[in-house]
Amino acid sequence: MAANTGSSRVAIPSFGGKGKLWIGLLVALMAAGIAAWGYQLTTGLIATGMRNVFSWGLYIMMFVLFVGLSAGGLIISSAPKFFHSHRYEGFARLGVLVSLACIIVAGLLILPDIGRPGRLYQFFTSPDFRSPMVWDFGIVLLYGLLNLWYLWLLTRRDLAARGSSLALGFKDTEAGRDRDRTLMFWTAAVALPTAVALHSVTGWIFATQVGRGDWFSPLVAPVFIAKALVSGLGLLLIVSVLADRYTNFEVDREELTSLGKILGIFLAFHVVYLLAAERLPHAWADHFEFWAIMSNFLIGDSVYFWLWTVVGGAVPLAMLALPPLRKRVSVIFTASVLAVVGTMFEGIRLVFTGYEVANIDSAPGISLGGEYTGITTDIWATAGAYTPTLVEIAVTLGIIAFGAFIVTLGLKYVPIQRVDAELSYATDGGKQDQ
Amino acid sequence: MTKHGLVIDQERCIGCQACAVSCKQENNVPMGQFWNRVLTEGGEKMDTPSGGYPEDGGSGSLDMQYQPTACQHCENAPCVKVCPVNATYTRDDGIVEIDYDKCIGCRYCMAACPYNARVFNWDEPEHMPEEGTGDVEARPQGVVEKCTFCSHRVDEGLDPACVVNCPADARIFGDLDDESSTVSKYIDKYETDQLLEDRGTDPNTYYISGEMSPGRPQTSDKMESELDDVSPWSDGDDDVPSKEADSAGGESSGSSHSVEGGEIPYATPAKSGGDD
Repeated sequence: MAANTGSSRVAIPSFGGKGKLWIGLLVALMAAGIAAWGYQLTTGLIATGMRNVFSWGLYIMMFVLFVGLSAGGLIISSAPKFFHSHRYEGFARLGVLVSLACIIVAGLLILPDIGRPGRLYQFFTSPDFRSPMVWDFGIVLLYGLLNLWYLWLLTRRDLAARGSSLALGFKDTEAGRDRDRTLMFWTAAVALPTAVALHSVTGWIFATQVGRGDWFSPLVAPVFIAKALVSGLGLLLIVSVLADRYTNFEVDREELTSLGKILGIFLAFHVVYLLAAERLPHAWADHFEFWAIMSNFLIGDSVYFWLWTVVGGAVPLAMLALPPLRKRVSVIFTASVLAVVGTMFEGIRLVFTGYEVANIDSAPGISLGGEYTGITTDIWATAGAYTPTLVEIAVTLGIIAFGAFIVTLGLKYVPIQRVDAELSYATDGGKQDQ
Repeated sequence: MTKHGLVIDQERCIGCQACAVSCKQENNVPMGQFWNRVLTEGGEKMDTPSGGYPEDGGSGSLDMQYQPTACQHCENAPCVKVCPVNATYTRDDGIVEIDYDKCIGCRYCMAACPYNARVFNWDEPEHMPEEGTGDVEARPQGVVEKCTFCSHRVDEGLDPACVVNCPADARIFGDLDDESSTVSKYIDKYETDQLLEDRGTDPNTYYISGEMSPGRPQTSDKMESELDDVSPWSDGDDDVPSKEADSAGGESSGSSHSVEGGEIPYATPAKSGGDD
C-alpha cells in the first residue's frame, strides 16, 4: 500500500538549529529537575516550603493543573469520532499526544511529593479501596494507558505505511484501516466516560474532606470537569498554534476559530456560571442586606481569585467573544494562555483555601516540624502559609520539560496529520478515496 | 468489645503543659513536633485571656480556658479512610494507629484530619538527648506520626502518659463501651462536647466544661480495668502504684495525686540520671 505513504506527515522531519536548541533547553531543565529531586531526597521534604499546617504545595497544585490539561486533547479527538463526525480531525492526533504527555506529567508530579517513594509498592500490596487516592491512582494509570493505546491506534496504519517500527508489525491494509475505524469508535466511547471519571475522582480527593474549608463541596467534581475542558482545550490550542508556527504541522484556520469559540463557551460556563452557582448560596445565607449579599457574591477575597476570574476568565472570554478579535490567531493564542494560567491559579487557590485557615487556631497553634521559610521564627503557627522553594520549582519545571519533550518526540516520530484528513477518518465506514 | 476513650475536664485543666511534655518524652516525639498540645482559648497568645482587666475602667471580662488537643481517635476517622495503603488504621479497641512501615508519606491523612493532630517528619528527626526518650522507637524521615493513646502502655494495662502525669487529674482514660467506667459515667453525668462535632468524625475524646468533675479517681499508673477494685469511685485503697508499672517508665509517675482517707502518699524514687 505504498500509495498511503505520502498521505500522512510528521511535523518535524529532522531537527534544525532551533530544534536542537529547544531539545537542549528541555534536557537542561530535566537535568536540573533530577538534581533538585536528588537533593530533596537526601534532605527530606524540609527542602520544600511545605510544613505541618500547609502540608501539600506546588506538586499537588500542578498535579491538579496537569490532570485538567490532559482532558482537552482526548475529548477534542474522541468526541467527534463518537458522533461519527470528522470535525477537528486535524487536531485529533496532536490532541491525544498532548493528553498523553500531560497525564504523564501529572503522574510524575506525585513522586516528589511522596515522603518515602521507596514504599510506593504499598499501593499494590496494601491498598485501601476507601481512599480516593487509590481511585485516582487507578484512573490516572488507566487514562494514561488509554491515551497511549489511542495515539497508537490513530497512527499505526500510517506508521506502517512509513515503514516505522513503531507500527509493531501491523500492516497498512484497507481492511486494517476499516477495522481501526471501528476500534476508534469504541475507544472514543470508552475514553469519554474515562475522562469524566478522571476529573471527578481527582476532584473528589478534595471534595470528600470535611476538615479543609471549601474543599468539602459537591460542586468540586463538576468544577474539575469544567476546568479540564477550559484548560485542556486552551493547551491544545496553544500547542497547535506553536506547532503550526515552528513545525510542519498545519492548523486549519476555520477549525481553530471554531475551537476558540468553544473555548469561550467553556470559559463562560466555568468561570461565570459555575463560580456564581458556587458563591451565591453562601453569600446569601451569610449576609442580610441586599448590597452585602451582592458584594460578597461578586467580590473575591484573594489575589488568586482575581488572577483566576479576571485574568484567566473575564479577559480571555471577552477576547473570544468580540467578533472583530476572535478570528485572529494571536488573540486565540493569548486567550488560551490566559485560560490555562487562570486555571492554574484556580488550583492554587483551592489548595490555599484548604490550608490557610486552621479549624482549631488557638495559641500557640500547631507545631510545624520546622520553620516556615522566612515567615516565622518558631515552630508554632495558627494559620497556614506557603511559598514554594527553588527546589520545588526546579523539580516541577523538570517534570513539565519532560512532558514537552514527549510532545516534541511525538511530533518527530508520529505521523501527526493526514494530508487527506477530511477523507480518511469518517468512522461511519466512509471509504478512503485515493 | 473495648473502646478506649479519653475525657478531658477543661474545668480542672490548669494549663501546666505536663501532658504535652510527658507525651513528648514518653513517645520520643522529635524536636519541632508535638503530638499533644495545650492550647489557650482566649487571647492572642498562650496563657493570655481575652477581654479586659477589671480595674482602671476595664470591662472586667477576662476569659480564658485551656484546650488540650491531640488525636481525637475518631470513630469515623477521615485519616483512616483516606490512607491509600492502610498505614493508618483503627485497632479493635478503637485506637487509631499508624503502621510506620507502610506509610508512604503522601500526607493525605494530614489533609483529612480536621484537628491538625498529625505531624510529618520533614527531615531526619532530631531527639534530645540524641538516643531519644521514653519507650517508643523513633519514626523515620518521611512518615506521618501522631498520638497513639500510648497504645504501648495501654497494651500493658497502663493509662496513657498524659493521663497519669496530669497533676490536676483532668484527664480520664477508660472504656467507653463499659457503662460502669469513669469515662462513661462522666459523659453521662456532665456536659461534654466532642471537638468539631459538626464534622461528623465522632471522636472518642470528650471535653467536660461547665461543671467540674471529681477528675481521675485513682492514683495508679494502671488503667481502671486493670485495678483489682473495679469501682472507679474507690477511695484509693487499691490504687497504690505497682512496682512493675514504675519500672516500665521512669518518667511516668502517679505521685502528685492528692490523697484522701489517710493513705500514705506514694513517691517515685529518684532515678540516677533523672528526667529533664
